[in-house]
Amino acid sequence: MLTITDLKKAYGRYHALNGLSMTIKDGALYGFVGPNGAGKTTTIKILAGLLSADSGQVILDGVDARRERQALKGMIGYVPDTFGVYADLKVWEYMEFFSACYGLEGLIARKRCEVLLEQVGLEDRMDQYVDGLSRGMKQRLCLARALIHDPALLVMDEPSSGLDPKTRKEFKELLQELNGEGKTILISSHVLTELDQMCTDIGIIDQGRMVLSGSMGEIMARVERSDPLQIMVYQNMDQAMAILRSHSLVGSIAIKENCLSVEFTGDHQDEALLLQQLIDADVLVRGFFRKQGSLESLFMQITDHEDKEVLLYEGKPGL
Amino acid sequence: MRENPVYKRERTVSSRSARLPVIMMLFNGILAVVALLNMYSMASQVEVTAEIQYSRFLDLYVFVASIEFLLLCFIMPALTAGSISGERERGTLELMLSTQMTSRGIVLGKLAASLYNMALLVISSFPVIALVFVYGGIQMKDVGALLLLYMVVALLSASIGLCFSAICRRSTMATALSYGFLAFLIVGTYGVNFFVWSMSRIGAAGYLDQVGGIAAQGSSGLFFYLLLLDPVLTFYRIIESQAGNLEAAAQIFQSFGGRGAGPVLRVWIPLSLLLQILLAVVFLLLAIRGVDPVRGEPKKLQKRKKG
Repeated sequence: MLTITDLKKAYGRYHALNGLSMTIKDGALYGFVGPNGAGKTTTIKILAGLLSADSGQVILDGVDARRERQALKGMIGYVPDTFGVYADLKVWEYMEFFSACYGLEGLIARKRCEVLLEQVGLEDRMDQYVDGLSRGMKQRLCLARALIHDPALLVMDEPSSGLDPKTRKEFKELLQELNGEGKTILISSHVLTELDQMCTDIGIIDQGRMVLSGSMGEIMARVERSDPLQIMVYQNMDQAMAILRSHSLVGSIAIKENCLSVEFTGDHQDEALLLQQLIDADVLVRGFFRKQGSLESLFMQITDHEDKEVLLYEGKPGL
Repeated sequence: MRENPVYKRERTVSSRSARLPVIMMLFNGILAVVALLNMYSMASQVEVTAEIQYSRFLDLYVFVASIEFLLLCFIMPALTAGSISGERERGTLELMLSTQMTSRGIVLGKLAASLYNMALLVISSFPVIALVFVYGGIQMKDVGALLLLYMVVALLSASIGLCFSAICRRSTMATALSYGFLAFLIVGTYGVNFFVWSMSRIGAAGYLDQVGGIAAQGSSGLFFYLLLLDPVLTFYRIIESQAGNLEAAAQIFQSFGGRGAGPVLRVWIPLSLLLQILLAVVFLLLAIRGVDPVRGEPKKLQKRKKG
């Protein structure tokens, strides 16, 4: 459906995108995750036709963003991180204005507005001024606006920022409902806890590059392996260390008193075998567990680099 | 024909807001007060001197037309300078640009809305302008010429406002620059001519003489043609052709233009109107370019294809 290949964008010497590549399948609810300044908004703005890329390719259902920008705009519904509402228009006028911007007018536009406002729960607010709506309602109105032309892909840039937990939950349910109806959605956020519960796919972007992407199942399997194995040794620490050092699936080992924190890339069976090996070697193990991993911890592992050098110098480093 | 959505929305919003009725009330209020005071002054003089000076009836027309012209010059940038930058500040410009609306559609919609407001102002002032017909001396074609000038000056000042509104991030900056540029057209072109003319008169224009043969002609040389862009002088020229008593304007043309200005003076009105329309078009194109988020993209693409 959406294929982005080697996308690059620089603002002067600042490289916002450094060859980003990603794919979103039909019907996916794609979580686009990354720290601030990773390039999420730049990517979304290129998709929405608000920025041009320096190089690379964006193709949505066979339509090239560079060559057919207007056509692509008709296929994408864009929800920015700000509401962008006209306070002095009524709800139905706001919807009709944007439907006219897509060339929809008359009865067709009116019907479409009614259906969408009903879907987002604003059907009884049609004659109300946009200014009088709550933040949550404004966000739902923005969502309805972005769907007015029935886009193939809905692109949302941190849509739940500034919403209270209840409204955020309702909004999340609304998105899941839309996704359930077959709508492909790309949602960017750095609130990972809400993404890992609703997305079908995840892509983690850092310093303008895709560092990890895949289906939620694949990512969660990776999450499980991402946190260190905690081994609490009661007796025979030296023997335990010798076994761990010689094990092929063990990375780094950290010792704090009698607790070993082991970077272990094996699955559940490998963990069981390691425990068996320790016991067979007369190591008294008081505790053996892997800390519950989360998308957040994986995200932190991937994007936690001391030197956040997003500035790429063309000359000598450090100049 | 499909109505421009931006124009339709602007019209809906302005019809709801108190801003336009207030502007219309002030605009027509000022015009009416000026016109009625002028009539009162004439009537009082007749009572005192028992002499009717018919030329003073034309003063009423010149006075009202001048006030209306200046008001239009200063109201139009106020209506347009914040129109695009305001959308940008609210975050709605980005939304419009993410739809299938083109930057040209947005700018032309804004222009049409401001011209619609201008038309309301001008049409609502007809009763005051029509006071002059009580005494006569002015024909319908004169009023037609005046309306044409109003349209051109409204187009020019609206496009200046739209251009700076599209370029500037903040409405305050856009408003300041719009009025600044308009002031340059009205006062600056005169100032440049006056400076060059003064230099030529004191014989210190050695270098400038090389540019346009200024000293030899005792005029402001080629800089004189800058005055074609000054809407106030176009207005004076039109009024002069109708009322014929504007010595100050005539002196400006004679001094700055010198001996060689005759042919240009003969076609001054159509030529200046044409140039001002062209200038407005340039500003509109700059505004469209300023709004377009991916300007220059097709050219870049073509170059890459060739490469």
